Amino acid sequence: MLFLAIGAVLSFSLGSAHASDDGYSIRVQVRQQQRDEAGKTDNQPIPSVTVFVTGTDGVEIGRLVTDAAGIAIFELPHKGDYTVTIDESTLPDGQKLDAGTSSSQNLLSDSFVTKTKVVNFFTGGSQSVSQSLFERVTQRLVDGVRLGLILAMCSVGLSLIFGTTGLTNFAHGEMVTFGGLAAFVLNISGLSFLGFLSFIPGIRPDGTFHILWAAPIGIVLGGGFGWALNYAIFGRLRKRGVGLVTQMVLTVGLSILLRNFFLSRFEGRTRPYAEFTLQRAMEFGPISITARDLIVSILSLIILVSVALALRFTRLGKATRAVSDNPDLASATGIDSEKVIRLVWILGGALAAAGGIFRGLDEQVSFDMGGRLLFLLFASITLGGLGSAFGALMGGFVVGIMVEVASLVVPTELKATPALLVLILVLLLRPQGILGRAQRVG
Amino acid sequence: MDWSLIIENSIKGFIGINAVYFAVAAIGLNVQFGFTGLLNFGQAGFMACGAYGLGMTAHYFGISMWWGIPIGIGFSVLLGFLMGIPTLRLRADYLAIVTIASAEIIRLVVRSVKFKTYFGGSDGINGFSDPFRKIGDDIGIVQANQYGFWPLRFTGRELWTLVVGWVVVAIVAYFVYLLMKSPWGRVLKAIREDEDAVRSLGKSVFSYKMQSLILGGAIGTMSGMIFALDRGSVQPDNYSRDVTFYILTALVLGGVAKVSGSIVGPMIFWGIFTFMDNFLRQVAKDPVHLGNFTIMKSTQVGQLNYMLIGLTLILLMVYRPQGVFGNRKEMAFDGH
Repeated sequence: MLFLAIGAVLSFSLGSAHASDDGYSIRVQVRQQQRDEAGKTDNQPIPSVTVFVTGTDGVEIGRLVTDAAGIAIFELPHKGDYTVTIDESTLPDGQKLDAGTSSSQNLLSDSFVTKTKVVNFFTGGSQSVSQSLFERVTQRLVDGVRLGLILAMCSVGLSLIFGTTGLTNFAHGEMVTFGGLAAFVLNISGLSFLGFLSFIPGIRPDGTFHILWAAPIGIVLGGGFGWALNYAIFGRLRKRGVGLVTQMVLTVGLSILLRNFFLSRFEGRTRPYAEFTLQRAMEFGPISITARDLIVSILSLIILVSVALALRFTRLGKATRAVSDNPDLASATGIDSEKVIRLVWILGGALAAAGGIFRGLDEQVSFDMGGRLLFLLFASITLGGLGSAFGALMGGFVVGIMVEVASLVVPTELKATPALLVLILVLLLRPQGILGRAQRVG
Repeated sequence: MDWSLIIENSIKGFIGINAVYFAVAAIGLNVQFGFTGLLNFGQAGFMACGAYGLGMTAHYFGISMWWGIPIGIGFSVLLGFLMGIPTLRLRADYLAIVTIASAEIIRLVVRSVKFKTYFGGSDGINGFSDPFRKIGDDIGIVQANQYGFWPLRFTGRELWTLVVGWVVVAIVAYFVYLLMKSPWGRVLKAIREDEDAVRSLGKSVFSYKMQSLILGGAIGTMSGMIFALDRGSVQPDNYSRDVTFYILTALVLGGVAKVSGSIVGPMIFWGIFTFMDNFLRQVAKDPVHLGNFTIMKSTQVGQLNYMLIGLTLILLMVYRPQGVFGNRKEMAFDGH
């Protein structure tokens, strides 16, 4: 049954690629002005710069980070007047907007000659940054907490699967993407055969679901996906006694398969969900955060706390931690470890999917949104202690904050590097992680 | 359907430069994974060391390209220590995690705007391979000329890198073959079978593992150099995580813990890949439908092919983890 549901979601993603193709869009290009030896212009794209678009009423329509080509594309709800603003604090160190370029550019409705309007931002030489250090630090901290919550959510499953089965799952990033894309399919492409449900508020006749429906359904599907992976592949391999390294290489194959499947169905672009893209940032002193991000953060926190409480106090939670600690001992005390492992895959899949959906609300969805997080997830669970659920929560939080705060010091495009540093330092100094238990190896 | 073109391209894929640089990288990976049981998921990082070693000589150091070979090997030895020191005393998974992370960070650093002066940013480095091309011209394989007959037609440019590439493959393979037969190689295999037993014999497992990691990495570095010389350019995105995974697939396809497997595997891998790519592109000139369900558009051929790679790896691991030509007894890194 679940297979069918998952299959339906995956196959009906077809055509989603063109859902918003007839709309208007703004293409923002951020470039550094340079000249080559011959004196010809040789402008360089600047990746990882935050740009956002606001409507006439000051409501934010979207906030994006430029890709490797220095480009960010905003899908617009309709033709109209917009303001494109660049967040100067996210420019690489020592770069400042050219004197001729304003940090905000107004677009009039009439200027949409074609459906895509190009907006350029150029940087010139080096000058100091306008925001105060305190403001920048607090803003980064807030961003770090948001990223940390998502990392924590995604890495609990990864860590528990490792703890209970010993498997390092290299396809976990794709489980994150699965959640984000499943919600996207429900939200944007729609399942037309479910159109008859349109009497329910939030479900439209064309079979698209409001994100408030799409998100929980996506999480459930993510749980089902985790279950299906365990049922169809890993459970069988465990029964046959296939070794862990073989299984690990298999997850690599799974990751290649899933990522390219997502790419072939959803194409390479990043796209937003239909709702909650119009957001006005609220100011709390030095911090600015949109209501959407605030709600997403609170929701993540609630989910994480309830997972932690469940692991701490319920029977199944205790059994899970027992299996994770020592599978043989747990089996000996009468715990059905296969049942626990099944539960862990479902929980891990659901949490990964939730992480993917929240990440999608935060930064839009794309086919490799999870794959790009994978390395941060590994850093999180290593820092927290492989196999420890609470360690993964804590590790995810620390890595998230560190990565964002580090972007004050290192260029934004390299902000993931401190995670590698942490990974290496942890392994050198305390290989069992913060909450892991030391065991003798070698 | 143009079968003669498909056949020609497939045969060229079978013995082409892609198979060459995959084979060299797979031989290196085999030293680590097949013979020692080390999970190096960052072979692309080692390859980048070689490629950037070559590229940086002219671009940054301003010296002859040939210095790039020792410089690249030097980079890869450094990288080997960086990956190995924190992880080789720990469980096998940690090495996998650190190698995959290091390779990704290397790619981010070399493509960054910040370090553009050293590595050329996302455009990479071009035009450093002239000394290499010149030797080809001098010994009579002229770049612009056509050589061979159907289905083996190459330009002099292709032929020269192919000749050099296969010579390197042969030398490296023979060297590794001898090494693995030597007492040193037997210690590596013993580590793969039972680390504790080796330790109890008084061998330093850590040191042997480190030597294996660095040797395999240095061979991977050569693979990066061959690729860079063939293209005449170095581009950061050619050294992504996926490249390591495809090399792993090719290696497992041929059979782990056998030197011949790591040559045959990449050949089969690229032979089939090129065939599928050419074949499906011809099929998908018009979108393929089943009812109103679009099975395949021409833009999806690439992804479909990569999905097949993933599926191949999964099926191999389930049904034949030792690879097509591998020996089950040698697939012992799982302790079975």
